[in-house]
Amino acid sequence: MNTPPDRSESVDRKLLEILVCPITKGPLEFDAARQELISRSAKLAYPIRDGIPIMLPEEARKLD
Amino acid sequence: MNQPGETTHFGFRDVALEEKQTLVNDVFHSVAQRYDLMNDLMSGGMHRLWKSAMINALNPPRDDSPFALLDVAGGTGDISFRAAKASGHGFHATVCDINSDMLEVGRQRAAQRHLDHQVDFVEGNAETLPFADRSYDAYTIAFGIRNVPRIDLALKEAYRVLRPGSRFLCLEFSHVDVPGLDKIYDLFSFNVIPQIGRVVTGDAESYQYLVESIRKFPKPNDFAEMIRAAGFARVSYQSLSGGIVALHSGWRL
Repeated sequence: MNTPPDRSESVDRKLLEILVCPITKGPLEFDAARQELISRSAKLAYPIRDGIPIMLPEEARKLD
Repeated sequence: MNQPGETTHFGFRDVALEEKQTLVNDVFHSVAQRYDLMNDLMSGGMHRLWKSAMINALNPPRDDSPFALLDVAGGTGDISFRAAKASGHGFHATVCDINSDMLEVGRQRAAQRHLDHQVDFVEGNAETLPFADRSYDAYTIAFGIRNVPRIDLALKEAYRVLRPGSRFLCLEFSHVDVPGLDKIYDLFSFNVIPQIGRVVTGDAESYQYLVESIRKFPKPNDFAEMIRAAGFARVSYQSLSGGIVALHSGWRL
């Protein structure tokens, strides 16, 4: 098992409720282990770096 | 989406829409660490008064009632920290900026000021905001909308994420309309500011762009019309410091 890295910064829970995919405006799934926000509708995984969600398609990992 | 070959302004140059974002990113990566210092030097400290005017207009609740602010292009956190200071415990801000270097500066400052529990940082594009409809009680953008390639899209997105009954506020450089002051302002802008930029950030070109982009920005009446076109009501603006800056306001009803 991977233990999640020790972070002084984590993403705020309320912020996670408000965030949507910038392209489809669809919901996101939070993958805490990988620190990614997954948009199934856009097939993209947006990274979270140092507690900052990077909600730019050009920075996201393509799924499939 | 835009047609290939569609152009916009980058300062006085015409550039492809896609290229503008890259060029603007380079400007802010280049100056992030010294951005707030430069604001002080360029405006003779007046940017503090302009931002105070914005916070006064925002008028966040001083009690503990919840209030969610979205501060777009607010990377270094300046507006959000001022708003937090003027607010009660129910205040919460999301800073959204397309530039990672500006956000990093903001995040460090939030931690230093013990505001990290009240201010969150998100890297995102003003034209395609990553927030659900009707999520915020106010939207602010200070000296940022000028740098957005498609301003009409940014305004529509602002409208979308605001709750009915909430407010859009935009601080932006405007057009000096006081005889005499306009000549001094021109001289200062085109001769002094790029030189200050060169000495402080080692980057005169970025500040040359900033000065040129101010001149290319629509006149306040025209910009107010764009805010109306995005759906906002009771649109108004207030000229500050002889028109150097305008504070624009609109309501989502």
